[in-house]
Amino acid sequence: MRGLKAGHMRSYRVAAIVLGAGIAALFSYVASAQTRETAGTPASRDLSGFWELSFDSRRVPDANLLSAVTRAVRAERAKRDAYAIRWCNLLGMPFVMDSGRPLDIRQGRTAVIIVPENASGPRYLYLDRSTHIGEEIFDPTAYGDSIAHWEGDTLVADTIGFHPDRGITTIPGGGHRSATSHLVERYRLLQGGQVLSVVFTWTDPKVFRTPHTYEFRYYRLPADYEPRTWLPCDPFDDGRGQFLEGPAPRAGAGGK
Amino acid sequence: MRCALAVLLAVCTVTLAAQRPAESAQRPDFSGYWELRLDSFRVPRAALTPQSTAAAESQAKKDAEALSRCALIGMPAVMDDRSALDVRHAPTVIGMVAKSPSSARYIYIDGRSHPAADELEPTTNGHSIGRWDGDTLVVDTVGFNDRGVTRIPGGGHRTPASHLVERYRLHEDGQRLSVVFTWEDPSVFQRPHSYEFRYYKVSEISEPRVINCVPNAERTRFLSGVPQ
Amino acid sequence: MSLTCWGVDMAVPRLRVTMLLLLLPTVLVPGTVHAQAPSAPDRHIEGHWVRKDVGGAGNFGGLANQIPPAQLTPEAAAGRGGGPGRAGGPGRGGGQQPSTPNAAGVPYIVVERPCANPGRGNGALLINPDSGGIHIIEHKDEVILAGERGGVRHIYLDARPHPAPGSRVPVNAGHSLGRYEGDALIVDTIGLTPGGVAGGGLRTAETRLRERLEVSPDGKTMTITYTWEDPKIYQKPHTYSYVFDRLPSGSYAFEDWCDAGDPIEKQSIVPPPQKP
Repeated sequence: MRGLKAGHMRSYRVAAIVLGAGIAALFSYVASAQTRETAGTPASRDLSGFWELSFDSRRVPDANLLSAVTRAVRAERAKRDAYAIRWCNLLGMPFVMDSGRPLDIRQGRTAVIIVPENASGPRYLYLDRSTHIGEEIFDPTAYGDSIAHWEGDTLVADTIGFHPDRGITTIPGGGHRSATSHLVERYRLLQGGQVLSVVFTWTDPKVFRTPHTYEFRYYRLPADYEPRTWLPCDPFDDGRGQFLEGPAPRAGAGGK
Repeated sequence: MRCALAVLLAVCTVTLAAQRPAESAQRPDFSGYWELRLDSFRVPRAALTPQSTAAAESQAKKDAEALSRCALIGMPAVMDDRSALDVRHAPTVIGMVAKSPSSARYIYIDGRSHPAADELEPTTNGHSIGRWDGDTLVVDTVGFNDRGVTRIPGGGHRTPASHLVERYRLHEDGQRLSVVFTWEDPSVFQRPHSYEFRYYKVSEISEPRVINCVPNAERTRFLSGVPQ
Repeated sequence: MSLTCWGVDMAVPRLRVTMLLLLLPTVLVPGTVHAQAPSAPDRHIEGHWVRKDVGGAGNFGGLANQIPPAQLTPEAAAGRGGGPGRAGGPGRGGGQQPSTPNAAGVPYIVVERPCANPGRGNGALLINPDSGGIHIIEHKDEVILAGERGGVRHIYLDARPHPAPGSRVPVNAGHSLGRYEGDALIVDTIGLTPGGVAGGGLRTAETRLRERLEVSPDGKTMTITYTWEDPKIYQKPHTYSYVFDRLPSGSYAFEDWCDAGDPIEKQSIVPPPQKP
């Protein structure tokens, strides 16, 4: 560096140090961009955890049903639900959200997965799609096709594509899931993230006069909770079959 | 003569005392954690009196208020609070502890009778005594009050006049517990109302067994209001 | 007047320009990286995957033949019957076949317990995936690996320990703990139900399974490398790999519906009437 003044030498030295720091910061940024993006998700927008319903978790008003949903229709639906339980079918929506055991909810980059402990398979709320799969492609399922997006701190999930007959179709408060059902759920954390509120709103031109809304509030379980993986259900257990299909219990009968 | 009688008495006492542990050793032991799953229920619809049908909505409101106040839930809700029931079976009493805010249930199996009506203080769980009918424990409960959560599966609600008989029996090598509940109450049911639960024995519990229920305005709003 | 910035005399034009040229990329490139991120290969394991027939075997038997046979201890080999077992794959319990053909319209009963085979649910296929898709969701505390043909694995990343041996009932997919090495997920599993392992291996609740899930540099395939260790069963760790294709963006998990109460689930096609 001949011909440079001493002050300029110092300046170039400092510039080199600043450049080195900048390059180091750049590499650090690029490296961190490759790691788990959820590590940076604000707590108010991370629904992940183990969640359970308790005795005081449900607020379910009566649904406003169309007159076409007669007592006979409701009885037939109840029979089909009993069949689904008897034969260990996939349970489907909405039952899986209140199936008697905690839910494991994990929020990834592309989807939120909701995992029940019983024999029903997980739900996926897809975050990487803003439109439903076309009905010419999508085979209706017991869970439907769910897409979700954030509105502030509320995750709004929209589901269509339900199968009308698979699993348990009865909806809390009255009515049943059908092929024309549309469900909107709003997920929001309360009480410092210890409670997960889910407001369900069903519309169905063949079932409800007016949209039917109810709310569940799940309590967070400790982080080290161990879920039971896939509670067994044996449709060929004779004792179980006789209990579920046999005569109604009566006074004096000892549960034979 | 007196000596002979004394010896005979002593021998009989010793023999009877030796027999008691052997007899109780033959009885089923209901101890364990027992949980209800979606295939645990056989609950037909109850035949309600017109008076009970008319009171259904107001009873539901009372139940919601009890929940919002964190009141002790009582029977029959303790037998189905969606969490495993902790049952401990000792020689003279069976204790049952639910996870929800509730008193423990005590089923006395020491041969006692119910207290006299004027001595019996009504509670949410009532007073329960049990006796064996072969391998089936038959439990008789009276002395209920109308506090807590009173709804009965299948319809109807618990009142101070309710009488409950339960029959407990183990199945499948002790892995399933059948309980047949039969309610009688002339103000609620036209005829006795029976239903059955079959609990699964649970080998491991990893979720907390304690609920910290705190009554507050938000809780009351949630349980009493209409969701938006 | 001297104007310095971080010790650099900014009055010198050459130095000003030099500083600007040197520092500008450190501001622009992060934004460029961010803007470019959608088109950079996705090396996350999160997504939908389906097993790839890398050798063109065309069937599960052919795929199984590509797995190096497990080197069993003499005791384990004797317990197995001395020879390698099936590598595993889908299957439903079969019923008895009739000795004479069925008349037209009379179905063959090929499954006695439809929808209730051990592979369905309970995670067995999740440590030996078949043709059904697998779906992975990553969260900082837990990775979920779900199979279209049933079962979910919980892979805990939160530093909890494995349960003490014998303290828990073994399940088909065991108890799994995970950690990352870069973008690769390393999984350690114990507590498996006794059974077979691909390549003629065996497992018990004490057997340890280590898996490495790693996406290729182009983001299009994922390799899961399985390593089974158990000194009572294996002379040396038994290792093999499966390769998976990433399903296109917008893919979704199918529902594997099976109704055990439907007689059709038990039977094959119904023999049609035969022409004279």
